[in-house]
Amino acid sequence: MAYPYTHEKEVRLLSRGWGDPASRTLEGWKALGGYEGLRKAVEMSRDEVIGVVKDAGLRGRGGAGFPAGVKWSFMPKEKKGPHYLCCNADESEPGTFKDREIMRWTPHQMIEGCLIAAYAIQAEHVYIYCRGEFFETNEIVGRAVEEAYEAGLAGKDILGSGVDIDVTVHVGAGAYICGEETGLMNSLEGRRGLPRVKPPFPAASGLFGKPTTINNVETLSAVPHIVVNGAEWYRQWGTEKSPGTKLFCVSGHVKRPGNYELPLGFPLKELIHGVCGGLREGRKLKAVVPGGSSVPFLNAAECETCSLSYEGVVEAGSMLGCASVMVMDDSTNIVKQVRRTVDFFSHESCGQCTPCREGTTWLARILKRIETGRGTEEDLETLLDLGDQMTGTTICVLSDSAAAPVRSSIEKFRDDYLALIRRGEKVGAA
Amino acid sequence: MSDETTERAPFRNPGWAGNTGEFELSEDEVRGRSYVGEHAPEGGHPSRVPTVPYMLPEKDPEAPLFEGPYAERFEKILSRYPNRRAALLPTLNLAQELRGRVSPETMAEVAQLLGLSDAYVRGVATFYTMYNKRPVGRYLIQVCTNVSCNLCGGDEVLAAFLEHTGTEAGEISDDGLFTVMEVECLAACGFPTAVQINSRYFENVTPDDVPAVLDRLREEAS
Ligand SMILES: Cc1cc2nc3c(=O)[nH]c(=O)nc-3n(C[C@H](O)[C@H](O)[C@H](O)COP(=O)(O)O)c2cc1C
Ligand code: SF4
Ligand code: FES
Repeated sequence: MAYPYTHEKEVRLLSRGWGDPASRTLEGWKALGGYEGLRKAVEMSRDEVIGVVKDAGLRGRGGAGFPAGVKWSFMPKEKKGPHYLCCNADESEPGTFKDREIMRWTPHQMIEGCLIAAYAIQAEHVYIYCRGEFFETNEIVGRAVEEAYEAGLAGKDILGSGVDIDVTVHVGAGAYICGEETGLMNSLEGRRGLPRVKPPFPAASGLFGKPTTINNVETLSAVPHIVVNGAEWYRQWGTEKSPGTKLFCVSGHVKRPGNYELPLGFPLKELIHGVCGGLREGRKLKAVVPGGSSVPFLNAAECETCSLSYEGVVEAGSMLGCASVMVMDDSTNIVKQVRRTVDFFSHESCGQCTPCREGTTWLARILKRIETGRGTEEDLETLLDLGDQMTGTTICVLSDSAAAPVRSSIEKFRDDYLALIRRGEKVGAA
Repeated sequence: MSDETTERAPFRNPGWAGNTGEFELSEDEVRGRSYVGEHAPEGGHPSRVPTVPYMLPEKDPEAPLFEGPYAERFEKILSRYPNRRAALLPTLNLAQELRGRVSPETMAEVAQLLGLSDAYVRGVATFYTMYNKRPVGRYLIQVCTNVSCNLCGGDEVLAAFLEHTGTEAGEISDDGLFTVMEVECLAACGFPTAVQINSRYFENVTPDDVPAVLDRLREEAS
């Protein structure tokens, strides 16, 4: 089955079954070995489940790359009240389109991961916080959860283990900031999605003030495979510090955009020019944003040697983030795209912190001025200065995220800014 | 310096549901309609009740909150949370599903149902972009212009929708059918340009596709 595009270099663990409507169903997922992980997990002790995920070195796929097993081990061992698991299905980082694919093609994969994680951390209720815009996808997830209940895989006494785990699909209503873990918890509690000051961390006081773990859809979807096959098996792919496979979301100016599941550490150059079929005819690579809108730009030279692991992308000068690779060729107006990115952050800032609320507005205004040929060289210094004041000074990292593309693009594509400033002319509508 | 958006990657979208690089699936298979099935009016298993779409063509601004199967769904929603406040978003969703928007009066009614203050509900409802504070056309067309789509011509697709509906962003077209808006990334960045029309995604949309998309909607409405 050729889900939009596939490539022989891919290792299809999580994306196995995509493009085949049969794998959506409980029966189809079971035919692919589904729910064997859950069956195995409930026969293991909770510490054993956490142990295998720790040993596998699975890192969080929601952006920060925090090791999942370690996060789970922060949950209290002695249960004094409810524990919760939140599955972060609010995918909204520009450039990222993997969680929606997991959810609409293999919803049971995610649900199985949720149930295993809930078992490991003694959560009695899993809330899958789905992005509001995903109506069609959310209906698929809803039907799959219902199927899981009907088959005794969720609800009371799952698989005869004596363990009860409820699952509820919660649907959001449009706000990027609800993807931030504590913003998500506030939103689930029926509040505005304002990120909380940490500590306390969610494992101590999270959803409804109870111990809570939150993981991304892709993180949880990797869990069943690890439980079934073991940590060593998972480590046959990837690097020492970034084990396993990762879904790379490639968008922008390549011939075959899409999701590709590859071992971590895969060369960026080969991803663009090999797996994705290269750039459009006659075009040269200009820039890549390797991890979604929140991370710094890479220039063409940096892309030559960049290896797509958590540590490799840092070495190249950016961050892996959600592995959302946005490719820009030499027709791209970088200033316009940075301005569009900052407009996004300015629109999505929750407004709690002054540096973020004011900073994103100012960045957007100055960038618009430059883009429309009314900027000065001092504006560049002002942008850098604002970026400094917005970094490391706020409740969540949205503020830092808005500053990162601005700073890196001025450093790496200063000539593009200067050309607009010097010519003082309007750029085209595109 | 200008983006040459005419040079597009060679992929098309025959099934309207997008995402059809090399595979041949029907629109139904891509969208998963037959798997989801018809929604039971009272919402099915409580775990999935909140997943009924809340942006529908049919709207009744006077619909009561809540009666019959909707009252049943409201009770099921309440049963999934440890307190009534947490049911606020799903309840607002349910209200918008019925009425097509969340007006100040609707906010007040929801506040009453959940034992919250009007001001609190207003503060929450206005935080979230998907609640229509004003009336919208039968079809709310939201075009992504964020970076990945933008690189492939999202601005032109937006312009084409505005032109062919004869509206300005946010207005209702004269025939009451369309409201066109710009939207942030829809998480379909590999299938640009992504467009959300009520509860459906349309992917790989080009400016040339726009008249045909609108024709299809007109047909569905008639
Ligand atoms: C502004 C902001 C937005 C975020 N949006 C998402 C999101 O849409 N989906 C997601 O999984 N994580 C998102 N995150 C990361 C979450 O806060 C959290 O780290 C993640 O869900 C943890 O899961 P993981 O450890 O499995 O990656 C966001 C973080 C920030 C600061
Ligand atoms: S950094 Fe911005 S988005 Fe994050 S809490 Fe502060 S104001 Fe809100
Ligand atoms: S940028 Fe358009 S869907 Fe993500």
